[in-house]
Amino acid sequence: MDRKRYRKQIIISLALFGFSLFYFLSALRLKMGTPRNMGPGFVPAMIGVLLLVSTAFHFIRVYRERPSGEVMEQSAEEAKNYWAIAGILVCTAAYPLILETVKFITSTFLVGFAMLLLLKPRNLLFSFLFSLGMAVGCFFLFSRFFGVALPSGFLEGLLFRIGA
Amino acid sequence: MKPLYLFYALAGTILGTITGVLPGLGPLGAMAILLSFTLKMDATAAMILFAGIYYGAMYGGSTTSILLNIPGEAASVVTCIDGYQMAQKGRAGAALTVAAVGSFIAGTISIMGLMIVALYLSDIALRFGPSEFFAIGVCGLMFLIRLTGGSILQSLIVTLVGMALGTVGIDFLTGAERFTYGINELGQGIEFLPVAMGIFGIAEVLQSVQGKEVPKSALKVRLRELLPTRKEWKRSIPSMFRGSVLGFFIGLVPGPSPIISTFVSYFTEKRLSKHPDEFGHGAIEGVAGPESANNAAVGGAYVPLFALGIPFTPAMAMVLGTLMLHGLTPGPNLMKEKADLFWVVIASMYIGNFMLIILNLPLVNVFVNILRIPQRILMPIIVLLCLIGVYSVNASLLDLLLLAIFGFIGYVLRQAGFQVAPLILALVIGPMIETSLRQALKITGGNLAEVVFRPICLSLYLLTLLCFTVPLVLKWTRRRQG
Repeated sequence: MDRKRYRKQIIISLALFGFSLFYFLSALRLKMGTPRNMGPGFVPAMIGVLLLVSTAFHFIRVYRERPSGEVMEQSAEEAKNYWAIAGILVCTAAYPLILETVKFITSTFLVGFAMLLLLKPRNLLFSFLFSLGMAVGCFFLFSRFFGVALPSGFLEGLLFRIGA
Repeated sequence: MKPLYLFYALAGTILGTITGVLPGLGPLGAMAILLSFTLKMDATAAMILFAGIYYGAMYGGSTTSILLNIPGEAASVVTCIDGYQMAQKGRAGAALTVAAVGSFIAGTISIMGLMIVALYLSDIALRFGPSEFFAIGVCGLMFLIRLTGGSILQSLIVTLVGMALGTVGIDFLTGAERFTYGINELGQGIEFLPVAMGIFGIAEVLQSVQGKEVPKSALKVRLRELLPTRKEWKRSIPSMFRGSVLGFFIGLVPGPSPIISTFVSYFTEKRLSKHPDEFGHGAIEGVAGPESANNAAVGGAYVPLFALGIPFTPAMAMVLGTLMLHGLTPGPNLMKEKADLFWVVIASMYIGNFMLIILNLPLVNVFVNILRIPQRILMPIIVLLCLIGVYSVNASLLDLLLLAIFGFIGYVLRQAGFQVAPLILALVIGPMIETSLRQALKITGGNLAEVVFRPICLSLYLLTLLCFTVPLVLKWTRRRQG
């Protein structure tokens, strides 16, 4: 295991241990009850103990694996891909934040366009038109075909009337 | 059977084949993305669609394995070994036909098995109490941890995380809020849909983006090349039947049964073959056996879901999630009360298998061309479908945030070498295990021994113990001998 991967594994195992500790402490605050009448905290506490033990064991196991010392070189393409991954995650997280404010078509278009840009577009105009098409297509598919009530403003109202 | 159901069977098999062809996006991803679409259908239509996707994907995966040496999904990895070698020798068409016919035979045999075993098992399951359901749930998860592959400790952690997530929300027995932290929406618990879509949809996309996109050039197959020779038929038919029977029984076991069944079938065929030296160089049995086995395992995996209401594979957890979204709880009672659903799904499986064989072989070149769609077009579409799909169920912004969070978690865990499938299963089975345990202890007055030492329960615990100890004993014996 190279040093970078080792560091990644340590962080993940620590995060898992942190989650276990947090879950276990939260479970302790719930009523335990008796074996005959188990309270809401009994099973979570049991899961919490098992989680704590297994994640602690996992952390020790990862920690004891020594890194080889060499650092694998990251290619430019790989680095670029990591940016794309981070970007897609940001887009996914941003979507619920903008959906109710700028409404369905605009938010879907913005997120789609941003993702297309992140994934190395060949043509800016193509990305623009494709994401616009996706937003409008999804609107018709979900609102008209599946009857889903999507956050709607002026644009959506207009399209709905045209579609009708 | 309504004509609309036939349409869903057709759509399912086509979508399944497409997802099977596309490396990275397996049947789970496709089911996760389409889960929200099924809300506007009735439960039967949704089940038909998902069944089509599942066995369509098993077949689709073989196409790219044979023509490109790229397994469309994990259950087709074994087909690459001899399938691609056959293609290199100009027998791609024969390999594809044998895979398709094998899948059809396996599908038919496993459906018959499903009909017999599920009906018989559901009759027995009607006599099960909470202790038995607790034992089945716990042992199912333990089997899954043992058979998922990779580190047992990592699988155990992921399973426990899934169970922990399953405890979020209002406790149904006492009405107490658990882990909601003042967020009202969490009172209903963490929904299955954003977790499944995040882990299998978004994380899958992120994983694909990270990998390098390689230009794919597949061999073209002409229609007249599709017919195997008489010798090839003679060699492959017994393998198809053996693979079907093996696959069905392996499908009954919790874990990634379609994948395991292909390996077991391959090594069985190699051991029984008169030409073991041909394996790895284009032996037709090496395609016929595993391809039949993975399709038969699909039918087998439906048995515990229909008969007991417990999913043993992640894909079945997805099917269970769909049924629950439609207000149905699978299990022995459902088979009695909604028998029409069971029989229509069975009928659709027969028809779907037939559709697979008559549609997919002539259209094999069309399906391979799907691989030419660039990732940069496909990935944003998948992400947007996941986002809108999750929103369309509850119109909940929290669900969308959970989708992003679980997409990230799924990606990170995969990067660290964790298998994420047990998380989904534990999220679904976890609440059932808790409920059964609490009910069982209440009935027995808190006597744990009475819960554990019931005949069926004890047999299951012993079987699970054997599943963990036998490999260790075998390893130890081999080490002593070697």
